[in-house]
Amino acid sequence: MSPRTLFEKIWSDHVIVTSPQGEDLLYVDFNLINEGQSFLAFDQLRIEGRSARRPEQQLAVTDHYLPTINRALGPAGMTNPEIRRVVEMLDENAAAFALPHIGWHHRDQGIAHVIAPELGIAQPGLLITCNDSHTATNGACGALGIPVGGGNQLRHVLATQTVWLKKPKTLRISIEGALPSAVSAKDVILSIIREIGVGGATGYAVEYAGAAIRAMSMEARMTICNMSIEAGARIGMVAPDDTTFQFLAGRPNAPEGADRPRALAWWKTLPSDPDAIFDRELSFDAGRLAPMVSWGTSPEDCAPVDGAVPDPSRIGDGDRRRHVERALDYMRLKPATPLDQIAIDRVFIGSCTNSRIEDLRAAARVLKGRRTAVPGMVSPGSSAVKRQAESEGLDRIFRDAGLEWRDAGCSMCNGSNGELVAPGERCASTTNRNFEGRQGRGALTHIMSPAMVAAAAVFGRITDVRRLSS
Amino acid sequence: MRPFTVLTAVAAPLEIAKIDTGMILPGRFMRRHRRPGHDYAEAFLYDLRFDETGRPRADFVLNAPAYREAGILVTDIDFGCGSSREGAAFAVMDFGLRALVGPSFGEIFQVNCLQNGILVVTLSETIIRDIWRQLRERPGAEMTIDLPNQILTAPDGTAHAFEISPLRKDRLVRGIDDIDVTLEHLDAIEAFEAKRRAAVPWLPTARRE
Repeated sequence: MSPRTLFEKIWSDHVIVTSPQGEDLLYVDFNLINEGQSFLAFDQLRIEGRSARRPEQQLAVTDHYLPTINRALGPAGMTNPEIRRVVEMLDENAAAFALPHIGWHHRDQGIAHVIAPELGIAQPGLLITCNDSHTATNGACGALGIPVGGGNQLRHVLATQTVWLKKPKTLRISIEGALPSAVSAKDVILSIIREIGVGGATGYAVEYAGAAIRAMSMEARMTICNMSIEAGARIGMVAPDDTTFQFLAGRPNAPEGADRPRALAWWKTLPSDPDAIFDRELSFDAGRLAPMVSWGTSPEDCAPVDGAVPDPSRIGDGDRRRHVERALDYMRLKPATPLDQIAIDRVFIGSCTNSRIEDLRAAARVLKGRRTAVPGMVSPGSSAVKRQAESEGLDRIFRDAGLEWRDAGCSMCNGSNGELVAPGERCASTTNRNFEGRQGRGALTHIMSPAMVAAAAVFGRITDVRRLSS
Repeated sequence: MRPFTVLTAVAAPLEIAKIDTGMILPGRFMRRHRRPGHDYAEAFLYDLRFDETGRPRADFVLNAPAYREAGILVTDIDFGCGSSREGAAFAVMDFGLRALVGPSFGEIFQVNCLQNGILVVTLSETIIRDIWRQLRERPGAEMTIDLPNQILTAPDGTAHAFEISPLRKDRLVRGIDDIDVTLEHLDAIEAFEAKRRAAVPWLPTARRE
């Protein structure tokens, strides 16, 4: 057989049939469902009299609309009736379709993309779907994580346990060398997006490779894969290796006993063959990367923290110049302002991008023994992360520093649960999108790593975390 | 899905350009459950059909008695542009429309309509303007859309040929949606599934607690 990439091996392993139009019918090993627009799929299935074909290979997860406070009160603690209604709709739909459900009361509750790896659902070689654009997070475990639309596509996955998709092209992004200290996975992915643009990987399945990726923890790999969509790619993955195998060992859904050696033998066949050919290859030198900060209204609008806001008058390309002008106007920033002179009003640490235990540890290392100059909140990615953080005393560090320690959920990343940045407020955030209005109408978002957000919290302005650690 | 073969129905002219999905289904209705008798029929074009107090706007075309039974909407350019909200197609369907005819449509919206059994016919702006004129002159006039032969017959009897992807046409005529098409491969899916479960016995499964 000709040499193949990691992506091609897993994709072809799931093709049931190919349509005359060239779309593949793929088998879905596991599908996760959030509140989002999923009720549209359920309502239509109900009207059609259809049911879920394989409920045991589905998991409903309440994460987007769940407030991160007053959980003990249950639905009564959700003061906004519209938000409460969306949460209740998933409760009702999961019950009506006999789907397993991790709801507000469940001990494993958390963000779908955090708990799928945590529960050992995201495994090498599996095809996992979810009605959320950040489903590629699962790719860090060597799975093929694919986002599906919340209406028609989700309805199709529920009714058939399959999905029709056109095979994307392959792109390998190699991060060679070693990362400088205080440069994190978030800085790597932001550097990539800055370089190739928000459409740079559209139509490609990305494999992240190279020494810097191999040296990364699973949490860091998840941060990288998570933001594939911000570069335009629906799929992002990392080849499974010993780090992956150790991470999975002992997790609830991971193979054990006699299955474990069988699984390991198979997983080891999955990495791209040495002479496999990618449609496109990119390479970055890890040693040259720096902590990154976004200044504009698109994830590609970012720069190393020792840089400055761009000056649109120096941009030759007309479209780009107009975008930057509009972005600076929205962000209320003057051209050429040094990034570390931008004062902030609040911070948010959380989201499927940066809410795992390592992220919280990185922020806590900066905050330990310090007080924050601005308010903010920390929302762990899952209840398990929350318990782990509390057992390590991280919650005390955050509280003592002056931040709120919340429950798990998507929270202020897009504010669908009502937790919003106020109009005109500037927020240093560990999230993935800095679009206009993403964190609330008129909210000014600067995305960066957890350690950078913590440093910004301490000084009340964007701060180069490398100054703190040296 | 209801098969679509030959439709003869009252056609309503909607001479407003660039009606986006947010007008077709205003955001505040997007959290509403769709149940028979409580669907998106009311929400469809709500802010065009009703005033601030919720009273029907007398001057809005779809509120005229002649169009109460409208099954075809003859739209202006870029109908269904804007956000990808899939509920917009459901609003069209729940309102009772079976076909949209216009010069151009939002791409994602168009796919969502076709997937749910609503025929979308694209004709030139000149033809659309002529059809609008005929419909204005005879409110409540019917048109016929013959999908198998790809012919739309205007109220004045003029026949207009239209294009549609063979795949979409086949599914509409047979009344099958994507799920039905997939389930035609059910044997293959089940065989695949059995093989996969044998090869990967540790496939994750969840239980309802």
